[in-house]
Amino acid sequence: MENKDEHMDFLDSGVLAPFKKWATKWSLWPVHFVTSCCGVELAHAFGCGYDGERIGALNFGIARQTNFIVVEGTITRKMARALRQVWEQMPDPKFVSVIGACGERGGIFWNGYNIIRPYDVVPVDFFVPGCPSTPEGILRGVRAVQDKLDGKDRTTIEFKNVGLPSEEGKENRVPTTPKIYSPTPAIKVDVRRDADWGTGKELVERLKGELNGLYKSITITGKNRIAIKTTTENVAEIASKMSNGVGIDHVKNVNVIDVPHERKMIVEYMASSYAVKEFMPVLITIFADIRRDECKFPSLTQYWENADYSEREMHEFFGVWFEGNSEMGRKFLLAPDTPEFPLRKDFKLKEEMYAFEEGKVVPSGISAKPATEISELPLPLPEGFLEDAENSDELVVLVGPHHPGSGHARWVVRLKGDIITEVLPDVGYVHRSMEKLAENRLYIQNIPLFERASITDFGNINLGYVRAIENALGIEVPERAKYIRTVIAEVSRISAFFYDSAIAAMMLGHSTGFMYAFALREMIVELVTRMTGARITASFIVPGGVRRDIPADVLETVGNLQSAVQKRWKKFEDIFINNPVTIARLKGTGVLTKEEAIKYGVVGPFLRASGVEYDVRKVEPYEAYDRLNWDVPISDDGDALSRFLVRVEEMKQSLSIIRQAVDALKNMKGGVLSEELLGDYKDASTDIRGYFYRVFGDIVIPKGEWTSITEAARGSLIYSLISDGESNVPYRVRIVTPSWLNLKGYMESLKGSRLADLQALFQTWGYFPPEADR
Amino acid sequence: MIETLINEIRSSMAENRVDIPLLEPLLKPVLTAPLIGDLVAFLLWRPILAFLFLFTCMMLVSVFLVWWERKAAARIQWRVGPREVSRQIGGLIQPVADGLRYMFQEVIVHRDADKFYFIQIPILAFIPFLLPLLFVNAGNLVPIETPYGIPLMLALIGLLPVMIVAVGWASNNRFGFIGAIREAFMYFAYEVPFIISVIAMLVLYGTANPVEIVKEQGIWWGILRNPIAALVFLITAAMATSRLPFEIPEADQEIAFGPNVEYSGIMFGLVMMMAYEKAFILGCMMTILFLGGGTGPAIPMLGDLSGALWFLIKTLIVLMLLTAFCRAVYPRYRLDQALSAGWSSMLSLALIALLISVILGVVM
Repeated sequence: MENKDEHMDFLDSGVLAPFKKWATKWSLWPVHFVTSCCGVELAHAFGCGYDGERIGALNFGIARQTNFIVVEGTITRKMARALRQVWEQMPDPKFVSVIGACGERGGIFWNGYNIIRPYDVVPVDFFVPGCPSTPEGILRGVRAVQDKLDGKDRTTIEFKNVGLPSEEGKENRVPTTPKIYSPTPAIKVDVRRDADWGTGKELVERLKGELNGLYKSITITGKNRIAIKTTTENVAEIASKMSNGVGIDHVKNVNVIDVPHERKMIVEYMASSYAVKEFMPVLITIFADIRRDECKFPSLTQYWENADYSEREMHEFFGVWFEGNSEMGRKFLLAPDTPEFPLRKDFKLKEEMYAFEEGKVVPSGISAKPATEISELPLPLPEGFLEDAENSDELVVLVGPHHPGSGHARWVVRLKGDIITEVLPDVGYVHRSMEKLAENRLYIQNIPLFERASITDFGNINLGYVRAIENALGIEVPERAKYIRTVIAEVSRISAFFYDSAIAAMMLGHSTGFMYAFALREMIVELVTRMTGARITASFIVPGGVRRDIPADVLETVGNLQSAVQKRWKKFEDIFINNPVTIARLKGTGVLTKEEAIKYGVVGPFLRASGVEYDVRKVEPYEAYDRLNWDVPISDDGDALSRFLVRVEEMKQSLSIIRQAVDALKNMKGGVLSEELLGDYKDASTDIRGYFYRVFGDIVIPKGEWTSITEAARGSLIYSLISDGESNVPYRVRIVTPSWLNLKGYMESLKGSRLADLQALFQTWGYFPPEADR
Repeated sequence: MIETLINEIRSSMAENRVDIPLLEPLLKPVLTAPLIGDLVAFLLWRPILAFLFLFTCMMLVSVFLVWWERKAAARIQWRVGPREVSRQIGGLIQPVADGLRYMFQEVIVHRDADKFYFIQIPILAFIPFLLPLLFVNAGNLVPIETPYGIPLMLALIGLLPVMIVAVGWASNNRFGFIGAIREAFMYFAYEVPFIISVIAMLVLYGTANPVEIVKEQGIWWGILRNPIAALVFLITAAMATSRLPFEIPEADQEIAFGPNVEYSGIMFGLVMMMAYEKAFILGCMMTILFLGGGTGPAIPMLGDLSGALWFLIKTLIVLMLLTAFCRAVYPRYRLDQALSAGWSSMLSLALIALLISVILGVVM
C-alpha cells in the first residue's frame, strides 16, 4: 500500500493507455464478497430494479477474475483478514469502493470492539455514504470510479447550503440526553411481579413439587415468565428433571450478567417447551450466581443440545468456563486480536461527546491497526480433525468467507466422496458487538442499532425491542398504533421472505428467480418508503406506538399490496417454485424430523415445517394479531422444500393480515403514541417530530429482567433487558436472533446431504449472517 | 520440375477457387498481380477458405453468444443488461470491453499451481477445439471431405473434457479438483446417449460423410425424421457444454467455477471461451445432422458463401436458443441427479431414437 495510485499509473502508461482505460472503465466487475448488511442494498443495485449490469458491472463469483471490490459496510476484525486476502488475490489493476457509513468511520458501530476501518486494510478509491447506502448511491460509486478512469475528478461532493426553517424563540437542546450510569447498580434477575396470569401459580406449584430441594426460590417475574434461582451444584440436576420430567425441551437463550461490584456473575438459561402445550408460551429462567474470579459453570448441553453455540458465545464474551462443553477455550465468534472477554463490565468502550462538553477532543472509536494476515486466522477445528479426516479418506473443504455461496461465514465441510459427513460453522464475520454497544447508549438510541442486525427484517427486530421496553414500563399502546405496527411487522416479514427466496434461487443457479424476487422486494421497499420515509431501516416503531400516523392515501396503497404481489408472485412461482429442477433439488433434502427440530431448538417457519405448531403470534399474541383472522401453515415433511413452502403460505397469510389490518385502520381514529408516555407533550400524539428526545431521552425502566419474545420473519426473536432501575442506559441487553437459533438445525440437516446441498439448504434455512452474528 | 509442381498447385487452386460472384470484379485484378495473386488464390482455395470461415465464425459467435446470453437473460429478468458501453447497439461491444480488460490484467500463477501445465493447457487446448472444424461442411465449403467425418468429429469432441479435467487438476485447488471430478462424471453421464443419438442419425442416412448427410436430408430435415434423436442430442449438448440446468462442473455458487477458479486475466478468457467453442462445434453438428446443413434458398450474388451463410444462421439460432432459454429458465441439477438422468431417461430415449432410425432407415 505504498503507492495508492499504482493501478491508475499502470493504466495511464504505454501506447495502449486509451484502450486500457476504456476497457477497464466499462468492465468493472465487482467481486461477490458480501461483508455486511449493505449487501442487501447491493443486491438491489444489481437486481432488476437498478440493474448494475447496464453500466458494465457484472457481479462475479470470485476474486481472481474480477477487478473491483465493493466493500459493503462494516468490516470486523475477523473479516479484515478475509478482505485483505481477497484484495490480494485479485489481479492488478483493481479498484475498491466502500459503501455504507460503517465503512468510513464505523457509523453506528463507531465505538464497537470488533470494528475496523476498511481503509486501514485496502486502499480505497471511493466512499459511498449512507446507512445503508441506497442502490442509487452504490451505482454512483461505480460511476465515480469510471469517472476516475476518465480523468474526471469527482473526489469531493459539492454541498448546497439549504436554509432550514426554524421557529424563533424556541429552545435548541443538545441532540441527546446525557447518559446516567448508576455507580453501584442493584442487579436482580428475579424481581417478583404481580401478573394477570391465571395458571401461573399452579405451574409454580408443580415446578416446586418436581424440583423439591434443588432450588433456592421460584418467582413469577411477569406473565408467562418464571425465574428459578439455584446453585451451580444443583443446576445440572434441575436441567435433567426439567428436560425429562417436565418436558422443557429446548433452551432459547444462555445469558451471563457481569456484576463486578458484587464480585459475581449471574448465569441464566432460558428454557421453554414445544412438546407440552401449557409450557409453550412460558419462559423459565434458571439462574445461579458464580464467583467472578473462578467463573465455572456446568454445561447443560447434555440435557439441551441446542445450548451449545450460545454457551460457546458466552464463554468468549465473559470467560465463563462451561464445564462439559468440549469447545471451551477456543475462539468462535471473535478474532484472535479482539479484546479478551469484551462484554465484562471492566472492559470500557469509548463514549460519545455532547455539544456542551466543549474543548474535549472527540475520540476516534477505532484506533488499533487491524491484523490482516490470513494465516493468523485460526481454523475452528477440534484437535485431530484434519488427521482424522485424512485417515478416514475424507476431504475437508473450506467454503467461505469469500465464496459465491457461503454468505458472510465460513463452513468447514467434511466430505466423504460427495456426501457431507460434518459441517463446522465458523461464524462471527459480521459480529458487530451490538450487545456491548447497547450498554453504552440510551434505551431509545438502541432502536436503530438493533435494527442493523437484520435489515431485511427491520420491522420485527425493531418491534421486539420496543415491546420489551413497553412491557417494562407498563405502557398500553393506542389501538391505532397496534394495527400500524402489525402492518409494519408483516410487511417486514414479507420483505425478509422475498430476500430469502431470491437468495435461495441464486444459490440454485437460478438468476431469473433472484431477479423476480428482488423485483417483488423492490415493491415492498417502495411501500415502506411511503409509510415510513426510509427504504429498509425505518426505525419507525418507538416505545408507546409509532413515530407518526400513516396518511389515508398511503394506507390505500398498502391495502392494494395483496393483489399487486399476487400477480407478480405467480410469475416467480411458475418459473422457480414449480420448476421441476427446483423441486428435484429441494424435495427430500436436509430433512429434520419433528424430534430433531425440537432437540436442536429450531424456531419459526422452519420449526413449523417439521410439524411443530408453534407461532409466538398465536401462543402469546401481541399487537393486533389476536383480533385478525389468519392461519399458521404447517408441514410434516421437514425437508428443504417444505421449509420453503411453509414460508410461501406464511407470506400469503401475511398479505391477508395486512389487508385486514388496513381495513380496520380505515375506520379507526386516535393518536398513535401512548399519552401516558407523552406526558406534557400531548401534541405529539400523531407525530413525534420535534419532541423526540424530550419524550424518549430519559426513559428509565424498572429494576429486573424484562424479556420479550416476538415472532420475527425467521422465527422467535428474544430480547432480554436487564435494568438496575436507576440508569437511563440498559445494564445488559441480550438479543437472540432466529438465525442464531436456527444455525444448529442448519448444520445438523446438512449431515448426509451432498456437497451441492450446502447452498441449496443455505437460504431455505433463511440464514442471514448479520442477524445471526449480531 | 519445380515449375511444373507450382503450376500444378496453381491450377488446382484456380480450379477449386471459391465462387463468389459479388467479389468477382474486385478479385480479377488482384489475382493477376504477381505475388499477391498467389496469396489471395491460396486464401480463396476452397479448403482453406472453408476453415478460415469456420474459425472466424467460431470466434465471432463465441463473443456474440457471451453478449446474447447476458442480454437475453436480462430481458427475461425484467432488466436491460449491458447497455451503456454502446447505447445505440444495445451494449453489443460489452464482451469486447471485458475481453480487452482481461487482456490487460495481471495473470496470476499461484504458488500451489502445477505451473507447467497450468500455463500451457489453456493455450494447447485450442488445438483440439479447432480440429473438429476440419470436418464441418458449411454449405459447399468443407475443409476436408471424408466418409469418416462424423465419427472423427465425435472422437475429437471426446477429447475436450480431458482438457477441462487437466485445467482443474493443474490448478491444484480443492474447488478446481472437485470441478474436474465433476466434469469427468458429467462426461460419463452424457457421452453414451450423445453417441447413440448420433449413431441413430447415421443409421438413418446410411452414411457418415457430412456432405452426403446434408444431400440425403433434402427438405426432410433430420429433426423431422427423428425428433427424439434431436431432443437427446440437444440435451446432451447442454450437458456437454455445462449449460444450465447441467452447469455442474462450473457451478459458481457451489464450487466457485470449479476448474476455472484459479485462472486470471487473459488465461481465464481462454478457459472461459472453451465452453463457447465447444458449444459452437456441437451447434455445427446439430445443423449438419438435424437441420439440413447449409441448404436454403440460394443467393446468387454470394455463390458458394450462400450455403455457408445459411449454415451459420442455423447454427446461431440453435446456440441462441440453447444458451438463453436454459440459463433463464432452469436452476441447477445436482451431480447425482444429472448422472441418473444421463443413464436412465437420456439413455432410454437415445435407444428409442435408434430404434426409430432402424425402422425408418433399414426396414422401410
